[in-house]
Amino acid sequence: MDALGITVQQLLTQLVSFLILFFMLYKLAYGPIMGMLDSRAQKIKESLEAAETARLEAASSAERVEAEIAQARVEGQKIVVEARDAASKLREQEQGRARGEVESMLERARTEIAREKEAAVEEVRKEFAGLAITAAERIVEGTLDAESHSGLIDKVLEEGLSERKN
Amino acid sequence: MGKLLSSPKLLVIAIAAIVALLVSVGGGALGASFGLGFLGGPIPFISIPAERVAYIGSYPLLNSTIMFWFGGIILLFVAWRAGRNVKDVPSGWQNFMEAIYEFFSGTVDGVAGGGAKSGRRFLALVSTIFMVVVIINWVGILPGVGSVGRIETIDEWVHHHIHAVEEAERESHPDYSDKQIHQLALIHLLEEHGNDTFVAFDGNFIPLGQGEQARVPLHNIVTFTDKELDDLAKKVKNDEDVSDDPVYERIEHDIHEGVVKDVFTYDEGGSNETEYNFTGQTAGLLVPYLRGASTDINTTLAIAIVAMFTVQLWGFRALGVRGYGGKFLVNPIKQGPIATFVGILEAFGELTRTISFTFRLFGNMFAGEILLIAMAFLLPLIGIIPFMGLELFVGVIQAYIFAMLTLVFGVMAVASHGDHDSHAGGH
Repeated sequence: MDALGITVQQLLTQLVSFLILFFMLYKLAYGPIMGMLDSRAQKIKESLEAAETARLEAASSAERVEAEIAQARVEGQKIVVEARDAASKLREQEQGRARGEVESMLERARTEIAREKEAAVEEVRKEFAGLAITAAERIVEGTLDAESHSGLIDKVLEEGLSERKN
Repeated sequence: MGKLLSSPKLLVIAIAAIVALLVSVGGGALGASFGLGFLGGPIPFISIPAERVAYIGSYPLLNSTIMFWFGGIILLFVAWRAGRNVKDVPSGWQNFMEAIYEFFSGTVDGVAGGGAKSGRRFLALVSTIFMVVVIINWVGILPGVGSVGRIETIDEWVHHHIHAVEEAERESHPDYSDKQIHQLALIHLLEEHGNDTFVAFDGNFIPLGQGEQARVPLHNIVTFTDKELDDLAKKVKNDEDVSDDPVYERIEHDIHEGVVKDVFTYDEGGSNETEYNFTGQTAGLLVPYLRGASTDINTTLAIAIVAMFTVQLWGFRALGVRGYGGKFLVNPIKQGPIATFVGILEAFGELTRTISFTFRLFGNMFAGEILLIAMAFLLPLIGIIPFMGLELFVGVIQAYIFAMLTLVFGVMAVASHGDHDSHAGGH
């Protein structure tokens, strides 16, 4: 023991020194640093979990939004189609109405024209007959008696008119 | 080569390196054979026990203890800086300590068998052992440690060494008086250490340039012949008072004076004998003021005791007194005499581990110190550089081995006996 220099005094010195060093290190560094490492690990674990839930939530809400968008799109298309249908129906309706009106107006105009024409013809005939009578009167004034010859004149006029008609 | 010649900077460095090498070789031990050796000092006395450098009251302060405290203070300073304000986002020293603790945290969990925090109980001691051993290894190889010191005179040397011899004499001659014991011890000390060499110097500094030759054997400092010593020893044993004997008086006077008495030849082996004349110079031994703590067995033994004691504590805490004690004390009737014998071997194993811890660290670091000294003499200036690097490496490796073995022994201690048996049964 002596040759190696081992003495109880020095051994105790080093032993106590080492133990003091151990406890001081424990107090100064080991305790605070290991506590911090553990709490940091805990924190990291928690925030990873929170991130995972947030990610899942985001994914599900994105899905929901997408479905809603798709639904809205379908609805929009439906509305467009409906609107287009309604518009075309309306147009057809309007067109039909307009056409009917035009036709009825034409019809009215035509009957009006026909009536007017008949009236005019009647008038012309009457006028013509009068004129012819007048003319004949003048020609045959005195020789002819208006009453006895008017039948004859009417017959002539009737023939003339029907000739013109044909 | 062309590149070397074209660049003046490189050329200067290369020439400086070559000059340094030549100066080292010429100034070192090799040059000393050709009469150079201008950088060689006498090789310091290599002593296994650490040396006393001062007394605090009656407590002898060893040079190794100083370095242990010095390393400890550095470590505590780093720990204080690292731990005073720990933050989740580390910076500075906290980074450093965190890296060490994280590394060992992973290691202890791995060795202890997997799960998170499974090795936490070992962590504090294992990491502390590593850090303490690294720091004392590293401060131990700082320049100046082991090479700067004071001179112990012959008088002091005799004073330190005679104690052990006196103890031995007292045991073999219990009937002798204290004076007889002292005189006999002195005679035996001279007989035993007559060829030990001491350094001759001018009283202040150990000279550079004398190299190996500046070592003077003790019998050229304290003059005596074997016959004179024999006669003196006979007289002392015959109960004669030799205090006034001229030979004894001359020996005491020489020891007190401690100077080289005459010209001597230093045997270098073969016919190559040279005469050296250091007559009148003081002789003594270099006692370094500082010495690496891990080159003192007291330190390594202290750490080994703490480690192995804690291993036993872990064992008892994990398995209980019966469970852990059952590993060593086995009932020979129940489990057979072979198991009992194995148990005794296990108990001895714990003791052996303490000793192997002690000497593994001490041996490596002490050898490293001697290696550095040897290189400083073989190739002064530059020879020490690669070995300094090697010693830094060895310092870490030894600390790691110490820490990991503590961990492994701890894990073995907490493993229950049943585990061990079922494991062995599987084979």
